[in-house]
Amino acid sequence: MDINTLLQGIIALLAILLLAPLFAGVINKQKAIFTGRIGAPVVQPYYELKRLLRKETINAGSSSFISDISPAVNLIAMVVAAAMLPVGFMKPLISFEGDIILFAYVLGLARFFQILAAMDIGSSFEGMGASREATFAVFAEPIFFFTIGSVAFADNLTSIYDIYHSIKLNNVTYIVFIVVCSISVLILAVTECSRMPIDDPNTHLELTMIHEVMILDNSGVDLFLYQYSSYVKLCIYAIVEASLFYPFAVQNSYVAVIIFLVVIAALATTLAVVETVTARFKLKFVPQYLLFATAIGVLNLLIYTFTK
Amino acid sequence: MQNVLSIIFCLSLFYLAVTSRVKTYVTVLQLQGIILTVLLLYPLIEHFSVPALILPATLFIVKVYLIPKYIKKILLDLDIKRIIEPTIQQFSFLLLVIFTMTVIFVASNILSKSTGIETIPFASGFSAVAVGMFIIIFRKKLIIHVAGFLVLENGIFLFGSTIASKLPMMIELGSLLDIFVVVFLMGIALNKISSTLSGFEVTALRRLKD
Repeated sequence: MDINTLLQGIIALLAILLLAPLFAGVINKQKAIFTGRIGAPVVQPYYELKRLLRKETINAGSSSFISDISPAVNLIAMVVAAAMLPVGFMKPLISFEGDIILFAYVLGLARFFQILAAMDIGSSFEGMGASREATFAVFAEPIFFFTIGSVAFADNLTSIYDIYHSIKLNNVTYIVFIVVCSISVLILAVTECSRMPIDDPNTHLELTMIHEVMILDNSGVDLFLYQYSSYVKLCIYAIVEASLFYPFAVQNSYVAVIIFLVVIAALATTLAVVETVTARFKLKFVPQYLLFATAIGVLNLLIYTFTK
Repeated sequence: MQNVLSIIFCLSLFYLAVTSRVKTYVTVLQLQGIILTVLLLYPLIEHFSVPALILPATLFIVKVYLIPKYIKKILLDLDIKRIIEPTIQQFSFLLLVIFTMTVIFVASNILSKSTGIETIPFASGFSAVAVGMFIIIFRKKLIIHVAGFLVLENGIFLFGSTIASKLPMMIELGSLLDIFVVVFLMGIALNKISSTLSGFEVTALRRLKD
């Protein structure tokens, strides 16, 4: 890896880490506008993170070392996952054959520690959130492997950078294939980031069913780490989704960055619209919603196996 | 193009498997009607002829306009509840659909090696037949049985368009008329049932005797 690629990778990673809260802010602002409110400024997530940093960290008396290390493990896992994603043309910092598996399981590791930490606190309420997170994770993981896997399978590639670069939007069937993929990746993103039809990010405490429940007893720096890693996670899934539509055939890097920003902005609008028009599902409907996305993935895989 | 339409058709089948509203069934049937019409219109771009327009036009009128309108009228007149009342969980139903579809896709790929059929449209049509049958088996409401029958019919139409290059148009038109009459009769039967029994569930029909 020469110095130029290394520099690009570092810039890409820094861009994700710095702009992640902004992305969440943009979604919230648009949501507010769609529902007829003025809404918080787009930089509100930064203010909130800053506020959390100033507060004292208190852990429950019953908690063990798991609660201490879990927030940091969460953030580190997110940073490692973010380092594997191509932003624009830039070659990611970590890229090797088979990194798609590492990507999925690094995110899995973060989830595992969050679930453990939620149970570690010893409150039954958080245990409930942890149980739900684990249940939905079981249904969410196949979505990733079936959809991104089917794109990978089409060209026999196993590195995220190569997979996204193999997408060429010049064949009608292939475009439909990618659009269908993007539907299930959107469902995956919504699930993993605990957003609207699955979970409500706005209601804190009792009404929120999954993610917010698990971090209910955290405060101060711990809460900062959890919140920040959830912003990074949202950004990661946004890039996973946006890269599907990214025309890698464009070879001018300035144009590439602009297109990338446009695609990300369009995605933010889509998420805001989805969150405005849908209500949260009843919990018993969530597994079938996720299985629907898996079904789309299976269909994709079947189609690509048999038209190859 | 045929592949693209077939993929959208398959997606609509998945949607039918998860939705729990009667109205959505009607909308999806309309969508499938549009897909089939586009499928018939697409070859006309190259070889245009006016008589060839008759079949797509009739299909559009019957499947996208008449039948959905009639079903909506029945729903309104008989005040049918909007939930479909499945006999098994939607989750298991969807699993069953995925499994069946996989088997059908693999089987039609094997078939396509020995015959000249196109795998994806053929498999999509075949899946629609299977899903239509499942809908009839696993739903309690009679009106949903009609929808299941129509899905099954759409499937036959789709794979019919892939096997035989040209069916005589009169046969296709005849079958469309047939479907319309069946749906019409079904509506009359439902009306009769509603005046005798209070519910529209198959379970209530067990009490019927001659």
